[in-house]
Amino acid sequence: MNWKTLSALLAFVTCFTGCSRSPASKPGAGARWVIGMSQCNLGEPWRVQMNADVAAAAARHPEIKVIYKDAQNDTLRQRAHIEEFVSAGVNLLIVSPKEAQPLTEPVAKAYRAGIPVIVLDRALVGEEYTTFIGADNRRIGRAAGEWIRKVTGGKGKLVELKGLMTSTPGQDRHSGFREAIQGSGLEVIFEADMKWLEPESRKEMESALARFPKIDVVYAHNDPGAHGAYLAAQASGRHQGTLFVGIDALPQEGQAYVRQGMLSATFLYPTGGAEAIDMALKILQGQPAPKKITLGSRLFTPENIEKGGEALQ
Amino acid sequence: MDVAGLVTPLVRMSGITKRFGRNVVLRGVSLDVYPGEVHILAGENGAGKSTLIKVLAGVYGDWEGAIEYFGHAARPRSPVEAMRLGVSVIYQELSLVPAMTVADNIFLGRARGRGGFVPQAEQRNETRELLQGIGLRIEPDTPVENLPIAAQQLVEIAKALSRDARVLVMDEPTSALTAPEVDTLFSLIGKLKREGRGIVYITHKMEEIGRIGDRVTVLRDGERVGSRPARELTDAELVRWMVGRDLGPGFSPAAGSRAESPSRAAAAGQERLRLQDFSVPSGPGSPRLAVEGVDLELRAGEVVGLAGLQGSGVSHLLLGLFGSYGANTGGSVYLNGRKTVIGSPQDAIRHGLALLTSDRKATGLVLCRPIQENAVLADLRRLAPGGWRAPARERAAVDALARALRLKAASLEMEAGELSGGNQQKVALAKWIQTGPRVFLLDEPTRGIDVGAKQEIYQLIHEWTAQGIAILMTSTELPELLALSDRIVVLHRGRVTAAFGRGQATAESVLAAAMGVES
Amino acid sequence: MLAFLRQFAARALAGPASRAVVALLLMLIVGLIFHADGAFYRIGTHRDALRQASVPGILACGMTLVIISGGIDLAVGSMLALSAVVFAMTALWWGWPPAAAIAVCLAVGLLCGSASGLLSARLRIQPFVATLAMMVFARGLAKTVSHGAKVATAVQNPDGTYRYVSLPPVFRWIDSRLAGDNLSAVTLIFLACFAVCWVLLARHRWGRYLYAIGGNEEAARLSGVPVAWTKTTAYAMSGLMAAIAGICQAAQEQQGDPEAGAGYELTAIAMAVIGGTALSGGRGGLGLTLLGVVTIGYLEKILSINAVPEASRLMLTGVIIVAAVLTQRRRNT
Repeated sequence: MNWKTLSALLAFVTCFTGCSRSPASKPGAGARWVIGMSQCNLGEPWRVQMNADVAAAAARHPEIKVIYKDAQNDTLRQRAHIEEFVSAGVNLLIVSPKEAQPLTEPVAKAYRAGIPVIVLDRALVGEEYTTFIGADNRRIGRAAGEWIRKVTGGKGKLVELKGLMTSTPGQDRHSGFREAIQGSGLEVIFEADMKWLEPESRKEMESALARFPKIDVVYAHNDPGAHGAYLAAQASGRHQGTLFVGIDALPQEGQAYVRQGMLSATFLYPTGGAEAIDMALKILQGQPAPKKITLGSRLFTPENIEKGGEALQ
Repeated sequence: MDVAGLVTPLVRMSGITKRFGRNVVLRGVSLDVYPGEVHILAGENGAGKSTLIKVLAGVYGDWEGAIEYFGHAARPRSPVEAMRLGVSVIYQELSLVPAMTVADNIFLGRARGRGGFVPQAEQRNETRELLQGIGLRIEPDTPVENLPIAAQQLVEIAKALSRDARVLVMDEPTSALTAPEVDTLFSLIGKLKREGRGIVYITHKMEEIGRIGDRVTVLRDGERVGSRPARELTDAELVRWMVGRDLGPGFSPAAGSRAESPSRAAAAGQERLRLQDFSVPSGPGSPRLAVEGVDLELRAGEVVGLAGLQGSGVSHLLLGLFGSYGANTGGSVYLNGRKTVIGSPQDAIRHGLALLTSDRKATGLVLCRPIQENAVLADLRRLAPGGWRAPARERAAVDALARALRLKAASLEMEAGELSGGNQQKVALAKWIQTGPRVFLLDEPTRGIDVGAKQEIYQLIHEWTAQGIAILMTSTELPELLALSDRIVVLHRGRVTAAFGRGQATAESVLAAAMGVES
Repeated sequence: MLAFLRQFAARALAGPASRAVVALLLMLIVGLIFHADGAFYRIGTHRDALRQASVPGILACGMTLVIISGGIDLAVGSMLALSAVVFAMTALWWGWPPAAAIAVCLAVGLLCGSASGLLSARLRIQPFVATLAMMVFARGLAKTVSHGAKVATAVQNPDGTYRYVSLPPVFRWIDSRLAGDNLSAVTLIFLACFAVCWVLLARHRWGRYLYAIGGNEEAARLSGVPVAWTKTTAYAMSGLMAAIAGICQAAQEQQGDPEAGAGYELTAIAMAVIGGTALSGGRGGLGLTLLGVVTIGYLEKILSINAVPEASRLMLTGVIIVAAVLTQRRRNT
């Protein structure tokens, strides 16, 4: 390859990487504060939503400017991003970490250097950060179980389609759910690990349909899973009379499925993006901040979807 | 200086006999090497030179006879043992690891240091000294693959010297070198001589024998013909030693020698192929030429034999003509009188050329596919004009070919790799016959084939010429080439050194021209 | 008795085709034994086993062609995602007629495949590396085109609210069932892809060129085979198959997911290899791949209806792959 081809290729690649599409806040003509946002990956739609929520909230406050970095699910890269934010001297750091142990120390260093840190969604080890904002998957799982128990009168044949059971959300959504249905007449006749993926969920649901003549409830750990199960049942004409319950409730996914009559219910797994900006402003204005904020969830059903769902206790 | 009888030889081989199965490759061969001499080992292809040096180098364990290394009888069981005894061989295919550095290559297998760790600095310094000693100015950390062939060869020599080789064997070392590089090598050899080492030097090139040889030993058909100090042996005698033999009972090309047959003289038809100032690069993108300035003519119904020893460029000529090097060949090619550019094998086939390659396993057949598929591979464009194949038509064609060639195979669905050498060659021939060529290039058509199959191929060549096909063939078996060819063109180092018309060629004159003797 | 069994086994395991058939039969027998409350006896189970194998199966058809020519295509999963996204955007969001939407997807697949082919055949980049690059590039392109989100019936308005577009009929056709609910339409599409690839491989001279190049590229070249062109078109076919697979995937999910197809390339390779096509090239065929596709489809189905835990499934699949490859090793008599 000669030099001309090489430089053309380099220019091409630089162009592409230059056009990243992460939403950037328009800095107001007098942006007082710079916030660094370190996201562990933008592969999951839920995290894309988190960044979008942050951006939407920040857009309402021209005095802050947010800089986004995507670690592409690489712990070492996220660590490097945090260190870059520290040396750039941001006024506040928001981190949604990939893993607790490897990122605790870099975050602690930032904290000790006097930069307030808000940790989102996944907890770190220890206490060296300003505020942790996250939802409780166990509680959501429990809420789902309780809702199902209420609606079915505590009786029925149930299929559980699980997310990756090697991940904490999967384990929590499973254990919370099982706590809630304990002692009821709800019988788990079939369970499988669909790894959070819709095509996998559809395959498992087809197996369940082949094996069991009657399925009353399908509880999937996320909305794509519930959607896949619904389509499988629909193809066999067995979707009427079965409840389909999912979790996440992203507006264009879970909530849309509820609106379209596919899901009977979905539970919001809040991103915490808006709350992070609100808390950031409070901190930057010198107000005290609680160590831990547990976000609440909301229940969306066809009945309450137009009202924006209902908050859970 | 004739030192025989005054000094102990470095190596003395006596009565070496080596068999492969029932095949006797060396018969009672003796060779000795004295300190400070360059002992040339000469002979035609297949005379047994490679086998002899492999016996010396410990590659084979089972041979009869005796070898004395520096006065002590020994029988090394591996090349490593032979190296420890002080004999190193520099083969034509260099044994360096291309991706590793010069220093690492030189210390390959003997890296100093404990526990597997290599002391880089120490090795580097030693390497630098070694390289300076032989006059090579390169950094020890250079990866070998970045060096030109000439330098790589010198690295091999350095490697041998680092193991204290007292006897170095060099197998055709100058085949890939330019003239100035040859000078460098020869001055190094001179230095090694003065250090009292012995060199066994295998070559075909007359000019080299005269230039650096002290003594010459000639092998022929596995036997030693004689040894003489180089100054005392004339070119003519040397050639006679190499060639002079009875033709033997096993050989009789059908219908006798073509060149002497009167009917042949009238058969040659119109000009089919003409090369003018034809040149072929030695490799893709290489500036060096393997073939240069070749003029050649080929007429319908005639057989022109291309004679040349290893490194002469005959295979390159055929491949280059066939379009294997793309349009990178120089000079002009005329087919049926019209100037043609052959830019690829597809072009060549379209213009009626066919090339039977020298290595049927590597470049001639697809061994894992059935005979049926191999036989039609080159002609699919005609057998399946719109792209869609007609299996019945293909089968019929291959059936006919198999019968015509007397192919012995249980079924045409057998994989080509399961056939014997002779039958494999027939499949390769069938493939080309199917294309209906008008110019047929044959590169060593009877290599590795038993006597019976050879006869069948000679018969086929006669039949083809009777049909008007023009044949350009090479063969390292001189008697075969002499008997089959109407005319002979000899190449040496890529250039034509002689062209013999009907009935003019003799084995000696051809071999002399192939070795570069000025006539 | 023992001698008879041994003879029978020797003949059954003689050629790659019969070995593949034996593997499939064994799989079916296992299914009959572990029938999961009779689920294996229901025709719906078989229909679904074939359905879930169809999309990877379509990829396996193109993959077989590439492997026979001596290469490999790691980009098929990413090209599937790109095609799914493009199909959803054109047919679902922009309401294009199905023929136009499908045509665009096929064109995209051909383009990406040809690019891989040119990198490999003309620039002489190793197929593994060239298609690895395409795998990453196509995935990135799919995410760029879709802005990282699924292209679904819920469309975001500029003010942040959502409106819903209706699903075009073509989605429902592709995801429908035929023959009285006993056969999925995607299975038919898979069989059609299989038929096209099979006929090209077995009856067109292009197929012979693929085998020759995979078996001995230099011999093929010196026999006048157009090596660069044949290799490039093999990858183009693989891209075309990936595009078709992407359309089917989008229809079955009712959305275009830029993350779809991740890891599918390995499934496609496994289906070809278990069927009996050698990774070294020059041997194999579509018929064998078909057997491999069906065998893997049934394997997954049997594990699924028996609710075998995920960890065990992974280990079992690994063991079966090794066993299948060992039995596929040619016995040199």
